[in-house]
Amino acid sequence: MTFSKVQPWITLAGRILLGVVLLLAGYLKAKSPAEAQMAVRAYEVLPVSIANFFGLALPWFEMGAGLLLIIGLAVRYSALFGGALMLLFVVAISQAWARGLTIDCGCFGGGGQVAAGHTKYLQEILRDLGLTLTGVFLYRFPKGKFGIDKFESTSELGDNSER
Amino acid sequence: MSDKKKANHAKDTTNRNIAIGMVIFVVLVGVLFSVLSNKTNSKVSIPASVSATDGYGIVFNKDAKVKVDIWEDFQCPHCKEFESVSGDYINGLIRDGKIRAVFHPMTFIGPESVLAAAAAACTADSGKFLNMHAALYNNQSATENSGTWTNTTLKLLAITAGDSSKATASCIDSGKYTNWTQNVEADAAKKNVNSTPTMFINGAKLNQAHYLDLAGLKADFAAAGVK
Repeated sequence: MTFSKVQPWITLAGRILLGVVLLLAGYLKAKSPAEAQMAVRAYEVLPVSIANFFGLALPWFEMGAGLLLIIGLAVRYSALFGGALMLLFVVAISQAWARGLTIDCGCFGGGGQVAAGHTKYLQEILRDLGLTLTGVFLYRFPKGKFGIDKFESTSELGDNSER
Repeated sequence: MSDKKKANHAKDTTNRNIAIGMVIFVVLVGVLFSVLSNKTNSKVSIPASVSATDGYGIVFNKDAKVKVDIWEDFQCPHCKEFESVSGDYINGLIRDGKIRAVFHPMTFIGPESVLAAAAAACTADSGKFLNMHAALYNNQSATENSGTWTNTTLKLLAITAGDSSKATASCIDSGKYTNWTQNVEADAAKKNVNSTPTMFINGAKLNQAHYLDLAGLKADFAAAGVK
């Protein structure tokens, strides 16, 4: 079996993985906005007012990108957004770890400060790195099974709707 | 490509762009909804002892010099521990008029936090807030939002806390102060309160180690001028 035969299926699996993660993460945060705001503030990176807005807005963007990935629409842009977001989380969690903050990443709801010894930084970073790589793969190979995007047969990765 | 194919292709592209546009539209509406529903609303009913300038907290001894702010969630286990270590001491200071205490009952843990905070606010109107505050922690469930607190159980709890007034019962039933809890939460967000319990003494955050260390807490109060 050649890569070109398997690739559309890998792309489908990647879309569903990243899409479902984004949709779920967004939904759980949109459900408890105060906690989502708290989670962003606890990273101590953004000014408080911007962190509060970010906590309210981010879940909706996550849900939007997740939905587009699952149905296979504007896959390159959604994957770029999702992958960049995961990379941002890796950076944010790493700096929290390096500075000795004790917080929950708040990725799927929850968040804020936790007791020392209850942090899960390594797992969170590895998970988000994996999702970043998924995003990179989808950006490079957006053409997959059961997607709404259309691709010209002469192009191996182009997305007509985005030209 | 034939002309027909080209036309179909253009139509497909338009349809896809419409679908993408719809998703973006829903996202923006969602953001707008979240921002508007998490803002302070100055029109909601607030208990008599609540001060908007104190972040919509419930105020005791408004003329005392040492100002203490407490952010808590009635469903938060650490708040229960904090209450069991220092509750009696802090209540004593309030009864003796030595501190200006402002309680900010937060509700980020979920729907039962909202019910509990709103019910506690009802008891504030009949002067039983401190009793209800202690009763809520004594009655805290080990699992969050598990159905322990409903308006019915909270009314009974208010009675056991010594508040059997009809006004309190109807206040709890009608959810009079439900929307006020949003204002408390919005203010906590502005003041960068990221965990509960959080205590400020004269505007300075309490040393993290002193929440469960009564001697340390007493020293902090003494340093702030509490005799």
